[in-house]
Amino acid sequence: MREYLRQIRVVARKDLAVELRARERIIAMAAFAVLVAILFNFAVDRTAVRMQEIAAGLIWMTIVFTGLVGLGRSFHAEEEDQALLGVLLSPAERGAIYLGKVVANFVVLSVVEALIFGTFALFFNLSYGDHAGALVVVVALATVGFTALGILFGAIATNTRMGDTVLPILIVPLLVPVLVYGVSATGRLFAGRPVSEVAGSVRMLAAFALVFTAAGTVLFRYVVEE
Amino acid sequence: MSLRGIRTAGTALTALGIGLILVLHWMVFFWVPTEATMGVVQRIFYIHVPSAWVAFMAVGIVALTSAVYLWLGDERLDMAAVSAAEGGMLFTTIVLLTGPLWGRIAWGAWWVWEPRLTLTLLLWFIFLGYFLVRGATENPARGKRFAAVVGIVGALDLPLIHLSVVWFRSQHPGPVVMKPEGPTLASPMLVTLFAGLAAFTVLFFGLYFYRYGLARLRFAAARRGTDEGGEPPPDTPDVTREDTP
Repeated sequence: MREYLRQIRVVARKDLAVELRARERIIAMAAFAVLVAILFNFAVDRTAVRMQEIAAGLIWMTIVFTGLVGLGRSFHAEEEDQALLGVLLSPAERGAIYLGKVVANFVVLSVVEALIFGTFALFFNLSYGDHAGALVVVVALATVGFTALGILFGAIATNTRMGDTVLPILIVPLLVPVLVYGVSATGRLFAGRPVSEVAGSVRMLAAFALVFTAAGTVLFRYVVEE
Repeated sequence: MSLRGIRTAGTALTALGIGLILVLHWMVFFWVPTEATMGVVQRIFYIHVPSAWVAFMAVGIVALTSAVYLWLGDERLDMAAVSAAEGGMLFTTIVLLTGPLWGRIAWGAWWVWEPRLTLTLLLWFIFLGYFLVRGATENPARGKRFAAVVGIVGALDLPLIHLSVVWFRSQHPGPVVMKPEGPTLASPMLVTLFAGLAAFTVLFFGLYFYRYGLARLRFAAARRGTDEGGEPPPDTPDVTREDTP
């Protein structure tokens, strides 16, 4: 068990180190997210609707698009010089490799999400309610589920001729529960509703995160074997 | 199962299925009474609902055979999965075509995000993903594994999607969706519904066996490529299996 956790930590640290050194992916995701927010300024008629009321949905759509952009590249590093083969030749268990990549991508996406929330607040003068802790929990759980699906299907997409274009087709239908419960909980917290009102959504997001992290851990080896 | 047995099963079930569908159509158009509130258009129900049952049964078969395929590696399990997936996609498409046709008359709009139809729409995309990754992979063996993973994870998510979509609807009430069967389903309607279920299930398995037989024939032909000497096709697995004629 300790060895397993160590392997996860090693893989996560490797991916994060690669990310921090090049910073390409995180900069691209961040820029994309801000640009999407800018587009929403033009796409939404603010004389017809108050941004505060639809902000939760728009923020989550931005997170989904940005996440898809980023997750599509999550195996890019391993495409170079057959690096994935090198990773697989290590004694690390496949499940640990998967979880390490999930952790690394969770961190990257979380940083970008923080930026998204900040950008939207700035652009549209939003209030995020009084329960920052609950908001963080909601977003974090949703991100775990998103990343779990993203890494598993990202590994698949990388190995098809369609590449990144098939990733949204695979992920988006399965992401509906995350969006439903994520937007609902986020919206309620923005509106200043009590935390107890989002408990049900939080439970569902946690269940989703658990189920698909477990599924990914078990199935990853079948995706990466030659 | 031998190839001859598969072909026989396919022919028998398809013929029986077509026969049952003819009986079903007679029942739907001439025998079953008209539903009181919705009128004649409600008769689509007897095509729409059985198709949905078969579609979801199919994805269950895909998930189970895919899981065992990944575990055991037996190619026949993958053949079973793809056969079920093709039938599943067909019946999912039927649900998505008959639903709006009914909805246009019953609800006044082609699409109102009714929870079960929404779930079926997402199921359609899960099947699409299954076939896309299967076909778009350079190495067909990997493509089959990818498809198996998509099938398993997709099926795992369906209950969660269902819960979320139903809950979403309860939070955002839309047009009132009349329960197709009313408070209780009258006896002739129940009989017709089960006739529909029998007809579509039998036809599904008839098509399934034909598709499975085709997959087995392709596999045998690919392996036979090795007997002529020269390199076996790249997707032929190493495990040899005797096809008893």
